[in-house]
Amino acid sequence: MVEPIAIPLTAGEGGSRKPRKLAALLAQLRDPYALTGVTIYLGFLIVAICADALAPYGPTDILFTDDGQLAASLPPSAAHLLGTTNLGRDVFSQLVLGSRPSLFVGLTAAIAVAALGTIAGLVSGYLGGLADRVLMRIADVILGLPFLPFVIVTIALTGPSLTHIVLAVALLLWPNAARVIRSQVLTLSQRQFVEAARVTGASPWRIIFVHIAPNVLPLSFLYGTIAVGWAILTQASVSFLGFGDTDVISWGTMLQDAYASQALDRGQYAWFVPPGLCIVLVVLAGFFISRGYEELLFPKLRDDR
Amino acid sequence: MAAMIEAPMIEASGLAKHYPAARSLRQALRGERRNVRAVDGIDLRLERGASVGLVGESGSGKTTIGRLLLKLTAPSGGRIAFEGEDLGGMDAARTLRFRQQAQLVFQNPYDALNPRFSVRRALLEPLRNTRVAQAEHEPRIAEVLRLVQLDDAVRYLDSLPHQLSGGQLQRVVLARALIVKPVFLVADEPVSMLDVSVRAGILNLLRDLKQRLGLTAFYISHDLTLVRYVCERTLVMYLGKLVEDGPTSEIVKRPAHPYTKALIAAVPRPDVDQPRGELPISGAIGDSGNPLTGCRLRDRCPHAFARCAAEEPPLVEVAPGHRSACHLHTQGRA
Amino acid sequence: MSALISVEDFAVAYRLGETSMQAVDGVDFSLPQGVMLGLVGESGCGKSTLARALMGVLPGNARITRGKVRLGGEDLTALLPAQRRQRLWRDISFVPQSAMNALDPVYRLRDQMREVLCRRGGLARRDADERAAELFTAVGLDPARLMDFPHQFSGGMRQRAAIAMALALRPKLVIADEPVTALDVIVQRQVLDTIRGLSRELGLSAIVVTHDISVVAYLCSMVAVMYAGQIVEFGPTDTVMREPAHPYTMGLMNASPDLERADAELVPIDGSPPSLMQPPAGCRFAARCPFAQQRCSQARPPMTEIAPGYRAACLRSGEAATLRGEAKEAATWRR
Repeated sequence: MVEPIAIPLTAGEGGSRKPRKLAALLAQLRDPYALTGVTIYLGFLIVAICADALAPYGPTDILFTDDGQLAASLPPSAAHLLGTTNLGRDVFSQLVLGSRPSLFVGLTAAIAVAALGTIAGLVSGYLGGLADRVLMRIADVILGLPFLPFVIVTIALTGPSLTHIVLAVALLLWPNAARVIRSQVLTLSQRQFVEAARVTGASPWRIIFVHIAPNVLPLSFLYGTIAVGWAILTQASVSFLGFGDTDVISWGTMLQDAYASQALDRGQYAWFVPPGLCIVLVVLAGFFISRGYEELLFPKLRDDR
Repeated sequence: MAAMIEAPMIEASGLAKHYPAARSLRQALRGERRNVRAVDGIDLRLERGASVGLVGESGSGKTTIGRLLLKLTAPSGGRIAFEGEDLGGMDAARTLRFRQQAQLVFQNPYDALNPRFSVRRALLEPLRNTRVAQAEHEPRIAEVLRLVQLDDAVRYLDSLPHQLSGGQLQRVVLARALIVKPVFLVADEPVSMLDVSVRAGILNLLRDLKQRLGLTAFYISHDLTLVRYVCERTLVMYLGKLVEDGPTSEIVKRPAHPYTKALIAAVPRPDVDQPRGELPISGAIGDSGNPLTGCRLRDRCPHAFARCAAEEPPLVEVAPGHRSACHLHTQGRA
Repeated sequence: MSALISVEDFAVAYRLGETSMQAVDGVDFSLPQGVMLGLVGESGCGKSTLARALMGVLPGNARITRGKVRLGGEDLTALLPAQRRQRLWRDISFVPQSAMNALDPVYRLRDQMREVLCRRGGLARRDADERAAELFTAVGLDPARLMDFPHQFSGGMRQRAAIAMALALRPKLVIADEPVTALDVIVQRQVLDTIRGLSRELGLSAIVVTHDISVVAYLCSMVAVMYAGQIVEFGPTDTVMREPAHPYTMGLMNASPDLERADAELVPIDGSPPSLMQPPAGCRFAARCPFAQQRCSQARPPMTEIAPGYRAACLRSGEAATLRGEAKEAATWRR
């Protein structure tokens, strides 16, 4: 029989569970990528929460200079950190307050994708049979749909609210997660501890949710973080293309606005570079975190240091 | 309790399990189906309190028998009776009770426990599943840890599997099986993944527990030496069929079937002077998807003659309580 | 006395994140020509690491931290990786644990043999095919099967093919890592007999790494017992197994069942090997040894010569005969 490769540890290093989980999370943070990603997320989260306090003006407030003129296209100054738009709105306030819809979209989409993908993957992988075939065929169809055009069509039909965008994104992204989680579940189902659960009388649903699910959660988390980036990007694209909700100022609408006012020609870099940069940072943060997690999940992928 | 001893613990007749086998594209297009006959017609009887070993090489079907006896998979043919009751006919409620009465000790202790469950959590699981009263949980956990000699319970209960050694893990696996107070225990290669110096401990424990708890134990193993150490009776399987059945000491000292003789001759021993003669068998294990007609061993057996190809040898008694399936016994030669 | 291979104070460490683990910590032995040495020990003792280090095929995070390996007089450890790679397969070859690892599933055996014989051995194609057929016959395989793919071979046959590949370039030394562990009993015996036959015919020198002492008894004339990264006993197999001088070997013999002597009680060795990340100062077996004394934990016991060519790393090896008697009693090991 094949010998197990075991580096025997001293036994009984128990201790209560909470410190252990915390230690695991902290261990994750030691990876430079994950650390950067988490910092970025936290940064934006704080900004979004404190947006009201940070923004000197409302996003759509039209401002006037002291001498009654429209404060249009002003360069960055003490009063307007990033200048103003051609309609006299403060760019910095827009940026800060625009973080809210963007992060909202990102987070809700992440949760939706993770939840849908995980449940579909679990049911498909463990129960197999008809459920598996139906779910995977649906997944195949969805994977064949072009992403942005589909979202745009959905928005056109249902209206451009943020919730609709989130739903559309979730609908398109869950198959990716589901497929990968399904194959993980298939592998786990062969493990002896799952058979052990059967022998001790556990019902199939119990096995799925109590025994298998915890072992696939890292993957769910991974796909969730990837979804954050996609969702924010999609919402920004949709807004940029003019299909978004014009009442809500998001980073995407800022870009759309800047483009429509020919800000590039006029050299108003302070207007369109910051929102673009923010989008890039958030999306990058998502990928950094998932990269850091990849080391944790699949350590064998790493060759040798 | 005593009045029930009429029915043996397990009685199986004509037990068979076939699996559809992988086919090549050509075969699939032609509509040909191949079946792997993992278990192909076995009669089995385990008396209450017995410790019986099932020996066979890979492809013999021994692991499948373990799964069949524990109702983890359904037979393709034949029936199994547990304490007189048909296993296949049990409804969900009865099956749940069966899960409390019959348990399995797994081969790989590193894999048999959920890596995210602490020892306590793993031990609670069978209690919860079989609806044991809450009040009983802690006392049973303590009792079972003492039984498997993990006395320092406080140390172990909150540990995760990766913090324990192979021997400790296997004891936890054993504890998990015993916590529901089963009457029938199947052990599938219980020590094959453990180091030699640790095996002895687990084997001694198994012997001891069987005695103390009056369990009916069924050991499945490729290792004849292990079976010799713990089992009073041994069954030998080859390619889905039972070829020899009898008291272990008899089988080892006076094997009747050519396959058993070969197995015994092939086992290496920790002795520099062990015999190194040629094995009384040739070739490799046959194909369980396409077994030979008549006796399945005939292409490897040095004694094969005409009748072996024509007719499958039945199990005949060669000594009291000792049966073997070989035409040589009825031919006047042995 | 020219040894074929001699290993001096050899040590290998694995880097795991920020810590390192000494998998092999100071191993000394030498092997004459034409001898089969069994390297036996339990999981984590370092035998596989040692085998791979000798071959020069360690994983990326492992490093030889000290010591020398001399093959036929030449110092292998002093060579550059490129030079060592040249010697690979020509001077030392390897039979891995599972032949699945040795054989590429998408190439026919003939092509795989050609790769070894032509590319590494410099033979012309026709000569290579002839030699391949010779090798197959030598290991008991039908040369016609050279045209098959590995999946068409059974486990035992694959293992024999791996042995044939290992012998292809007539190496001075063959290292076999658990060559029969994954095989069924009857096939195992057949492959062991093949190896025995080859060792007689070719005067093969080999190091057989295994956790199964019975395989060593069957195959090898010399044995080295490893524990926690060190060799604790070394000598002729019959002596070491009948009259072990190290308590660990005594324990191992007690715990190894024998079909013939089924009434003997098996005695386990309680406890576990020490962590190799922070190995103890003195004798590594002291914590589990029923005969340990104060002095055992103070300094590493040196290899003491008990008889020519027979050594054990135990401070009490002088009393080995008495200790052996006590070791046979189960009560000695229950503390």
